[in-house]
Parts: sequence; structure tokens; C-alpha cells
Amino acid sequence: MGLFKDAEQFETMLAGFFNLMAKTPVIADKLLAAKMVIRFKYSDPDSVIVVDCSGDAVDVRRGDTDTKALVEMSMSADIAHKFWFGKVNLTAALTRKQMVAKGPIPKVLKLLPAIKPSYAMYPTYLNENGYGDFNIY
Amino acid sequence: MAEASLPLCCLPMKEDRMLPDFFQFHSPTKVIYAPGIAMDFAHELKSLGCEKYFVVSDGIISGLGLVQNIVDGLTAEGITITGEFLEVGQDAELQNVNAIAAQAKASGAGGLIAIGGGSVIDATKAANIIFSMGGDLVEDFSGAHLLTEPINPFVAIPTTAGTGSEVTFVSMIYDSENKTKMAFADKFSLPDLAVLDPELTVSMPPGLTASTGMDALTHAIEAYVGIDWSPISNAFAVAAIELIFKYLPMAVENGEDVEPRGGMLTAANLAGTAFSHSMVGVVHGMAHATGGLYRVPHGVANGILLAHGMEYNFEEIKEQLARLAPHMGENVNGLSQDEAAGKSIEAVRKLTGKLNALKALPLKLSEVGVPKDGLSKIAAATLEDGTCVYNPREVEEEEVLKHLENAF
Repeated sequence: MGLFKDAEQFETMLAGFFNLMAKTPVIADKLLAAKMVIRFKYSDPDSVIVVDCSGDAVDVRRGDTDTKALVEMSMSADIAHKFWFGKVNLTAALTRKQMVAKGPIPKVLKLLPAIKPSYAMYPTYLNENGYGDFNIY
Repeated sequence: MAEASLPLCCLPMKEDRMLPDFFQFHSPTKVIYAPGIAMDFAHELKSLGCEKYFVVSDGIISGLGLVQNIVDGLTAEGITITGEFLEVGQDAELQNVNAIAAQAKASGAGGLIAIGGGSVIDATKAANIIFSMGGDLVEDFSGAHLLTEPINPFVAIPTTAGTGSEVTFVSMIYDSENKTKMAFADKFSLPDLAVLDPELTVSMPPGLTASTGMDALTHAIEAYVGIDWSPISNAFAVAAIELIFKYLPMAVENGEDVEPRGGMLTAANLAGTAFSHSMVGVVHGMAHATGGLYRVPHGVANGILLAHGMEYNFEEIKEQLARLAPHMGENVNGLSQDEAAGKSIEAVRKLTGKLNALKALPLKLSEVGVPKDGLSKIAAATLEDGTCVYNPREVEEEEVLKHLENAF
């Protein structure tokens, strides 16, 4: 049993954070420059979020399984949650198959410095949006 | 006793930590080494359960007669060579990869043999995925650790001493149509056998010997100081560093001498294992950017930038640099940690100075076609390089630019 009771709870929380990132220029500008569409596939609970950076603004879509994504990242909801605290060693997660990355890995790695400011934003976001109980790392 | 002279594994890491939170070591590639062994290793192929192989190389290696010599040795011992692809270019290109897989399959081969430098080995490594599994390389296998089972036997015979690709699980493939570099990273992609024959590397000219050697040294040092270090990868990195400091100038000065060639081939192999587990950092980030923007060969860029990258990271890695200095031949007795760490940078500069005196390695970016007003572009591109994720110090554009100006 993971940290989250159902997909609705997890998706609402994480999509809200992705939307916050989408409105944060220091992050969004770099995501938009990459022009990538990334699909995050989560398990336990199962859910899907697409982050579409191919247009003029970062578009976060819940449950989108149709759009062709350049990169697909699969992981458990718990690992995803831990990742946004900046507490996941990517190499370890990939080699232990805690994360599976499909698509151009160099492009994914290029985005990591861009999203670094988000690690500090995540605990604050949780506290300010009623998710303080998940502020555990 | 000065801290830097303590045995490698007896020293506290940063914050008194001797172990990282996580490390892994996976190196199933059998490595065999001897002068002349590339002409006499058929028994190893038979033990892989396959006696029909397709050979991959490039025009230069083929033109030197090396491919034919190896093929002759294998066929004399009952191995069947079902066909050859001898057209891999300077980059491992996607169209080459697809052609290798298709031709190998059509020839009835059961395994692949790569004879060449990093591009040949990378192209063959990637080709083995679709040769074994079918499908479309980019659509089905671009990513990390997507394979779920072992693939066909793959033998790598390096003819340069730098990339260590014969023991790494990643292949970098260039898609010239879309002008993108793609990575295929999978533990099942690792070669089953690496054949290290120093006689195959004696034809490398001094410049290529120096630059590939500096590439190997950069792999070793960046693996040692990177955030994904481990006690095991450190052991490989240190062994590589010792061999490179001993043998690289000798290999450049007298390319016909097989012992230094063997030392460098072994060092590149060890460094390959080290960085395959611990990754590289800002030196590679700057070198990739320099190469991408101004076509500076990768090893040359690493050779010019290594000491500057060590300086960039100095405050974060001085403990590690102090430990490395004795392995580079420096006497650190009685020195403070800062002084001992500085000695390791000095040692790298002495080495590149020697190679420069032998007219084998430039020392400045200004000597290799990089314009002064291009430095800011290199700094910006460095930040976008994936290797910087593994650098021990945060990679910041303004700071990188300062060090690039120093390297200019």
C-alpha cells in the first residue's frame, strides 16, 4: 500500500504542482525551449499525467493516454512523490527499475537542471494546498 | 601522516562518509588481454555458444588490414564469418546501425564482432539490440534499461585507447536525418567479450593517442569525483589514472612500443568501467558543448578542459583530489589538503604540457578554432548537457564561462 489512497488524490496533488511549475517562468521557459511532450505513467495508484511543452505554454493534462509523447517515464506514485523533493538518485532509480525511461534520455537529463528549483517549491506547495501530511522527506 | 598518503579505502569521505547511499556494480564482460590475442581467440567465441559472426568496422581499420588479419585468425580456427560491414563513419549513425542489423540477420550470423574505436563499438552495440530483438531501434528501444532478457553474443575489439566502450552499457547514436544524438542504455547491451590487443593500437598517430588517452583520464577523474562515485568504481578509476600517468607520454613518444600501448588500452578499459558506473561531469559537459559548436574532437576538448574543470569543482572535491595526487606521481607528504589537491591539478597540467611538447595535444581553446566570442555559447550549451547532473558542484553559466576564458 502506497502513500496515496486513490488516483484522484494523487493526480490532483501532482497535477496542481505541475501547473505551478508551468506558471513559474524560471522553470517553464526552459521546459518550453525543450519542446517536449512527456507522459508520466504512475502505478499504485494508477494514473497518467501528460506535460506538453510543445506549444506557447506548458499544458498539464490528466489522464491523457492518446497524445504521442516523446518521452514516457513510468514509476510508482511514491517514487514520483519522493522525486519532487529532490530525494531520488536518478541512476539508482533507473538501474533498480524504480523508474523506467523510454525515449531520448539525453534530452531528459538536459531538463533536470531546469526543474531543480522545483525541489524547493514542492514542500511549500504541499503545505499551502492542504497536503501537509505528505510533507515527509 | 599526511591524509592524502593514507590507503585509498581508509579515508573518510565528505562528512565522514565512507559509503554512498546506493551503489551498484555490474560488469559481465569478460576481458582478455595480450599482444597478438586478436588473431587467436576463437575458443572464446565458441564458449559463447555461437560460431557464426558478422564483423563490423570502418574503412580506416579495414584499410590497415586489421580486419582481415582478425578474420583470418578466426576462420582458421573454425569460426564462420557470415559477412562484414566496414562503413561506420566518424559518428555511430542510425542508418549504419539499421544496416548492420539487417545485413547481419540476412547473413545468418548468430553474433556480432566490432573492430574499431568508440563509434564502431557503439554502432554495433546498438545494432545488436534490433539484430536480436527485431523492431525499430528508436521507437522501441530508445531509453534506459528497456530490455528484459539477454541478447545475441557481442564481441568488442577496441583499436583506440580512450572510450572504454567495450565495457560500457550505453551506445550513443547520431540520427543525421533529425540531427539528434540518442542514447541506448541497457545492461544487456554490454559486450560478452572484450579483446584487448595492444598491437592493434600501434598505428594510432601521436595526436590521436594523446587525445584518446586524455579522454580516458577524464573518464577516470570525473568518475572518481562525481556524485555517483562508489568504492568499486573508485578502485577502477585509480588503477586507470596510475596507468595513464605512467604510459601515455611513452605511447605518444614511441607508438611502436607495445607495452605503453597495452597500458593505455587497459587504462581506457578500467576508466570505461569506472565512468559506466559513476558517470562524468562538467568537463564532459564543456567538451560536448565545444565539440558540438566548433567540431573540436572530444578527446582534444577533454584534454584542454580537464584541469579547468577540476578547478571549477575544487572546493567540492579537494578531499578526493588530494587522495588522487599520489596516484599521479605527486609527493604530498607534509602538505595540507588544499595543497595536495592542488598537486593533482598540477599533475594533469604537467601531463598535458608533456603531450604538448611532443606536438600531440593543444593546450588552449584558441588553438583549436574556438573564437573568443564563442565561449559564452559554449557556457550556455554546457548547462544543457546531461552530464552536468552528475557534477559535484552546481553548474552555473557565469562560473563556467570564467573557466572557459581561462582555457582560452
